Amino acid sequence: MTEVKKDHGKLQNYVNGEWIDSTSDKVIDIENPSTGGIIGKLPMSTADETKAAIEAAHEAWWAWRETPPITRARVMFKLKELMERNFEDVARIMVQEQGKTIDEARGETRRTIENVEVAAGIPSLMMGYNLEDGAAEGIDEDAIISPLGVFGCICPFNFPAMIPFWFWPYAVATGNTYIVKPSSQVPLTMNYLAKLIEQAGFPPGVLNVVNGSHEVSDTMMEHPKVKGISFVGSSPVAKYIYKHSAEYGKRVQAQGGAKNSLVVMPDANLDRTVANMLASYYGCAGQRCLAGSNMVAVGNIADTLLKKWVEGTKKIKMGYGLDESVNMGPVISAKAKKKVIEYIDGAEQAGAKVLVDGRNAKVPGYEKGHFVGPTVIDQVTPDMKIAKEEVFGPVVSYMRMESMDEALEFIHKSPFGNAASVYTQSGKTAREFRYRCQCGNIGINVGIVAAMAYFPFAGYKDSFFGDLHGQGQDAIKFFTDRKVVITRWF
Amino acid sequence: MVECDFPECTTFGAVIRFALELEKGAAGVYDELSVEPKAASAAETFKALSAAHKKRGELLEFTRREKLNEMILEPISELKRENYIIDTRTPKGVDAKAAAKFASKIEEISANFYADSARIAKNLMAEAARTMDKLGKENLTNKAKLEAL
Repeated sequence: MTEVKKDHGKLQNYVNGEWIDSTSDKVIDIENPSTGGIIGKLPMSTADETKAAIEAAHEAWWAWRETPPITRARVMFKLKELMERNFEDVARIMVQEQGKTIDEARGETRRTIENVEVAAGIPSLMMGYNLEDGAAEGIDEDAIISPLGVFGCICPFNFPAMIPFWFWPYAVATGNTYIVKPSSQVPLTMNYLAKLIEQAGFPPGVLNVVNGSHEVSDTMMEHPKVKGISFVGSSPVAKYIYKHSAEYGKRVQAQGGAKNSLVVMPDANLDRTVANMLASYYGCAGQRCLAGSNMVAVGNIADTLLKKWVEGTKKIKMGYGLDESVNMGPVISAKAKKKVIEYIDGAEQAGAKVLVDGRNAKVPGYEKGHFVGPTVIDQVTPDMKIAKEEVFGPVVSYMRMESMDEALEFIHKSPFGNAASVYTQSGKTAREFRYRCQCGNIGINVGIVAAMAYFPFAGYKDSFFGDLHGQGQDAIKFFTDRKVVITRWF
Repeated sequence: MVECDFPECTTFGAVIRFALELEKGAAGVYDELSVEPKAASAAETFKALSAAHKKRGELLEFTRREKLNEMILEPISELKRENYIIDTRTPKGVDAKAAAKFASKIEEISANFYADSARIAKNLMAEAARTMDKLGKENLTNKAKLEAL
């Protein structure tokens, strides 16, 4: 179980091509959630330090904007190469600070690289369009895709590498400059990646990393030289970021929370369904925005499915994710663990039945880790709090319904609209589900509907505030504008 | 003796780690057999097989990096570790025939491991399953080659 480093020390900011100590006297510990040990220190950078980063990014912008797209793409290729070379270290740091398993971390590292690969296609992706005689005879019309300036992102704890990379490679490849504020709980991976970004040869100021918390975020949202903000986190904060940034004239894409239901139809292949859903509910300890939370059994399969589900759940091995035989790691913090346990307690008090109880889970050798065991709660009803609110832990709310109509009605009552899946062998049922379901990410016999880098990571209702999503063509559009030129030669 | 650390095969990563240990073990055994004085007539074959197993390790590293996708991180429960552990205590002072017989057992166990892994991985990770299938077939070819010595 090799860690890249036991202690990563006090982090610095990466601004204008230099690693700089923060002058802030506020410093917080970075914790390994599996061991409870302290693995680094994070400075809470000040508003002035953030402003300096914004100014540096703004200074760097025009020269970078004038750099031909093919040259910008070459730096992306170089970064990809460096990330491949350091693949295992990226994954291991991620496990150490976030708690996910090494397989999950490798999967995330691969997805992170994929965003760089897609952004490297920028010469083709950001081509504009034109029409001869488009305005009138002898007058042509062109739409040119142009970058806008400085952008920034505010990142969550669940995907320390992938989520910043949903945004910044597209912003920078299209000719903008960028500031990343990593999650204060998991800043190590992004800071390690920034060292690779530095080696790749991006000019100073093109990509900056400022560590900290609200002060950094608020400064980015309010600064007149920042053109747009990307955010991923809970819905209340996403809504605040959306409103606050918009007040300051920013473009915003703010991904919020989720309450994802996986619907199992009577004709589903139960063995394959259970195996696939285990990864959805318990992967990343239930802390994915695409994690299953409610399980809806339709019709007469409910008891059979539940039996198989409980059997599968009991086979999940918890531990430190660097042990490759482990299926599930801890939740991110003691506070998160307490919150998850409170939800389970609340469900029990409301009359639901806890069939597999992860509240007192212990992992020998990791007594200080924030482990919550996989939990199955039966007889959950739609009115219960646990059926409606985001738990963000390895907890399954098991529900029984009579039909897909009833399941869809339940899904649509939720304020969230992030993801939903259906398990069925019927093409007609699947087609109806994907057509009617009002969620942004739909799975057909797939429990983690994680869009690839060339597709947008979607989301409806309170799961997303904005109109253009992260990744793919949506990201290109978010970070650029269309400039229309009408040309007439006398 | 080649030191190996075979994990429980409960995840995709652990299956690949197990496979990497198999390859490391096999390559190490062939390295040791290739310098056995009494088995000198088979030294070139052993060297070639050692190189082949090292290359297979690189293929597995590539598979681990490239084929992982969070949509398919399903727990694995059907591969029992104890069925596939190879003996890496290379015998000393053996002739070519005895050396080949020892190595042949490694190839046979590895072939079984890859065949079973490929079958299980087929539903989860079709691309990884193809790699496993290929490696298992190579083990059987190696076994035949050793038995012909």
